[in-house]
Amino acid sequence: MTARETAVTWLSLLGGFLLVWSVAAATLPVPAYMLPPPMAVLDAFTDLVVKGILPAYIAESLRRMVLAALIAFAIGVPVGIGLGVSRRLAEFTYPLLNFFQSVSGIAWLPLMLVWFGFGERTILVAVNYTVVFPVALNTLLGVRSVPRIYVNGLRTLGAPRWRIARDVILPGALPSIATGMRLGLAYGWRALIAAEMLVGAHGLGFMIFSAQNFHLTARIVLGMLVIGALWLVLDYFVFRPLEQATIERWGLIQR
Amino acid sequence: MRGLKSSARGLLPFVVLVLAWTAVTRAGLVAEIFLPRPEEVLRTGWDMARDGSLWTNIVASLGRVALGLVVSVPLAVGAGVAAGLSRRLAAVLEPVAGFFNSLSGIAWLPLAVTWFGLGWASVTFIMVNTVFFLVFFNTLVGVRTVPRVFEHAVRTLGGSRRHLIFQVLVPGAMPSIVAGIRMSIGFGWRALIAAEMIATSTGLGFLIFNAQNFHQTDTILVGIITIGLIWLATDRLLLQPLERWTVERWGMVSTA
Repeated sequence: MTARETAVTWLSLLGGFLLVWSVAAATLPVPAYMLPPPMAVLDAFTDLVVKGILPAYIAESLRRMVLAALIAFAIGVPVGIGLGVSRRLAEFTYPLLNFFQSVSGIAWLPLMLVWFGFGERTILVAVNYTVVFPVALNTLLGVRSVPRIYVNGLRTLGAPRWRIARDVILPGALPSIATGMRLGLAYGWRALIAAEMLVGAHGLGFMIFSAQNFHLTARIVLGMLVIGALWLVLDYFVFRPLEQATIERWGLIQR
Repeated sequence: MRGLKSSARGLLPFVVLVLAWTAVTRAGLVAEIFLPRPEEVLRTGWDMARDGSLWTNIVASLGRVALGLVVSVPLAVGAGVAAGLSRRLAAVLEPVAGFFNSLSGIAWLPLAVTWFGLGWASVTFIMVNTVFFLVFFNTLVGVRTVPRVFEHAVRTLGGSRRHLIFQVLVPGAMPSIVAGIRMSIGFGWRALIAAEMIATSTGLGFLIFNAQNFHQTDTILVGIITIGLIWLATDRLLLQPLERWTVERWGMVSTA
């Protein structure tokens, strides 16, 4: 499909969707709070932008996400590499990492609430937890998947340990690290929304959850659109290119 | 014997973890209200298992997962195969599903509660939502990766469209579909726990969130451990073998 055809398809899809939505909202015998018309969502949008609430909440959610990504990367990758370098250590810690990865951060939330109270710290710890384990686990797997022959090759040539780590193990594990980051952030984004709902301190999750109490359904729909759109933008313009680049540069593609 | 040995090695890290936990609590480094002793958690777990409250909540959570799968997997596979067959349908469904996939899970909860009220319907809706789009995408990808040669061969031999779908496309896409189901249970299980905290009064999510109100950290830990064990057991004993089996049966494993 050409770019123009794609654009036409998307636009007609969007138009058709809005049309069906408007007609349904106008004719279905349900109260307006059950199915607000598209115009109401637009009104909610302008209202929240004018008041500055929406930009502030978007910034808040993104700030938490970026912070979580940075911390998880800074902790998860070194831990994964450190554990992965030794076969024994990797075998010992793998079940633990796997277990803690499978208990989502949200499941720890009640315990964290007892530990840290209702507030910013609980949200950050929960989201960080959610991101860090997939990153560490995948880094470890990536390190383990680097063929021994390369390590031995460098060692025979007299390279010190840190050279092997920098020139062989890190590049070799990068595609796996990228995969871990993408998976971890996908889990983390959802955990962030859930944590913001439960802890209730600013952010998009808090916005849609508090709107539900007042039947401000247009605001909920708006929040959902923003959440979905933000993730799509991040995924298309940040994560996928990053993953592609690492896989093409260091991965299994031979040509 | 070998299996026994390797599973013993797999358990060792957890033994060390529990020992460390015991040491920390015995030494009084953390107040008991924040981190109860392991034997305390074990006792609470035992009590909850005996009075049945643990099982009720486990059954409630697993029931929702099962219901979500039963409802959405057939629909998602059907839609995925249809989109795989028709370029025009794929052009329509793909962007829509892409958007909903990135939205899936917990973000639907406020709207679900508005529509269905607090209760199992909302939670099931979240589950169905999460599973549907992931399985749909994986089916679509799976159908597309089936080599055209097989399709042409069946056509040349006089196979009907039904033959094509059920003998070629669905089996060919099977490894991808099963991988999608496995991933969707991973995402769905997380979404479910979060949804149960907010929208119901049964299930493991509710159990731990409710215990938090009363600072019952022992009950919370029982819940967390149960959640982890259930996921590990499902993944190890059910999903991984299923995935391996489908890959062996229908996948691109060369005999060389």
